[in-house]
Amino acid sequence: MSANNPMEQFAIRTLHPLSVSGYDVSFTNSALWMLVALVVIAAFMVIGTMKPTLVPGRWQAALEYVYDFVVGVVDENVGSKGKAYVPLIFSVFVFVLVCNLLGLVPWVGSFTPTSHIAVTLALALIVFLIVVIVGLVNHGLHFFTFFWPKGMHPALALFIMPIEVVSFLVRPFTLAIRLFANMTAGHVLLKVFGTFVVALGSFGALPYVFGIVPLAVNVALSALELLIALIQAYVFALLASIYLNDAINLH
Amino acid sequence: MPQFEPANFVPQMVWLVVAFAILYFVIVQTTLPRLGRTIDAREKKVMGDLTSAERAKAEADHMQAEYEAGVATAQDKARARVAEARAAAAREIEANNAETNRMLHSKVETAEAALAERRAKAIGEIEAVAAEAAGDIVEKLTGSRPDPAETQAAARAALA
Repeated sequence: MSANNPMEQFAIRTLHPLSVSGYDVSFTNSALWMLVALVVIAAFMVIGTMKPTLVPGRWQAALEYVYDFVVGVVDENVGSKGKAYVPLIFSVFVFVLVCNLLGLVPWVGSFTPTSHIAVTLALALIVFLIVVIVGLVNHGLHFFTFFWPKGMHPALALFIMPIEVVSFLVRPFTLAIRLFANMTAGHVLLKVFGTFVVALGSFGALPYVFGIVPLAVNVALSALELLIALIQAYVFALLASIYLNDAINLH
Repeated sequence: MPQFEPANFVPQMVWLVVAFAILYFVIVQTTLPRLGRTIDAREKKVMGDLTSAERAKAEADHMQAEYEAGVATAQDKARARVAEARAAAAREIEANNAETNRMLHSKVETAEAALAERRAKAIGEIEAVAAEAAGDIVEKLTGSRPDPAETQAAARAALA
């Protein structure tokens, strides 16, 4: 029964136990797939920029397309001051995107790091910390006026301010949970319909016939998951740049 | 759910930080600036090409305007020269005409003068002959020859 458990695909397996000053930092299948994602990204980027030409080749054009996309997102949300943060948003975007896409490879050993809240939360916290640091560096303590609603009656503002603070502090969690929940739900759904294929396909009287329906659903779901993998990477990068905008331009 | 297993949190978070650090500081920082430079160079090249094309177009427009102006002045000049030539020709023809007229006129005058002279001479001869004949007639009738001056006066009076 354990093989049919849709949660089994998220299991963390320790590949190489490791411990640093008492903390467990074992190399797991999750870490392995993050590194696989790094290798894929590195290959894509190194090949794309190996011989940069004014008239781009296929690899360079593909990389430029992704780069232009990220530049567009940053430019639209942060403006001209956001140029320095394009590499950061680019890194976030491609990392989430490649992790999402690698998890969709229909192979029993494939694993989606972004379906784990620990991973998405760590990434969201990195973005959050950078936003706070950028805000403090750019505006000093003036950055905290971000929580004071402008042009509002002071009594009402005093009431609104805690809400603003909470909504700011909750950002990394919503960012993390959004990605994790989307990835987890999609993979659970795929797995559930996958077990239906086996269960209905091995129906004694008419073998294989009834398995076709869940199989067709799974094909459609795969397309949907591909879309979600892209959209969630985009949303993560988009929200990261919107938060950066708050830190750079305040109100 | 393995996602909410507290034991799974720390190793994954640590490895994410490691992986993201490698991604940002190694992979992206070594490749992305090259791409950015290439894109900037392309933009600059395109802008440069555009401006040089604009300059070439302005130059071509200027040349065309110059050419058109040249053609216009040449046309004006040619027109002026044609008008001048036509006027000169007209003047020459007029002069010729005047010359010819004058020549004809003088010829007519000489001819008229000659004619008048001849006529005067002829009249004089007729006068003499008439006076002679009148003297002969009077001599035959009267036997005496009248004074030639008289006959001559009479002939002149009869002819006039």
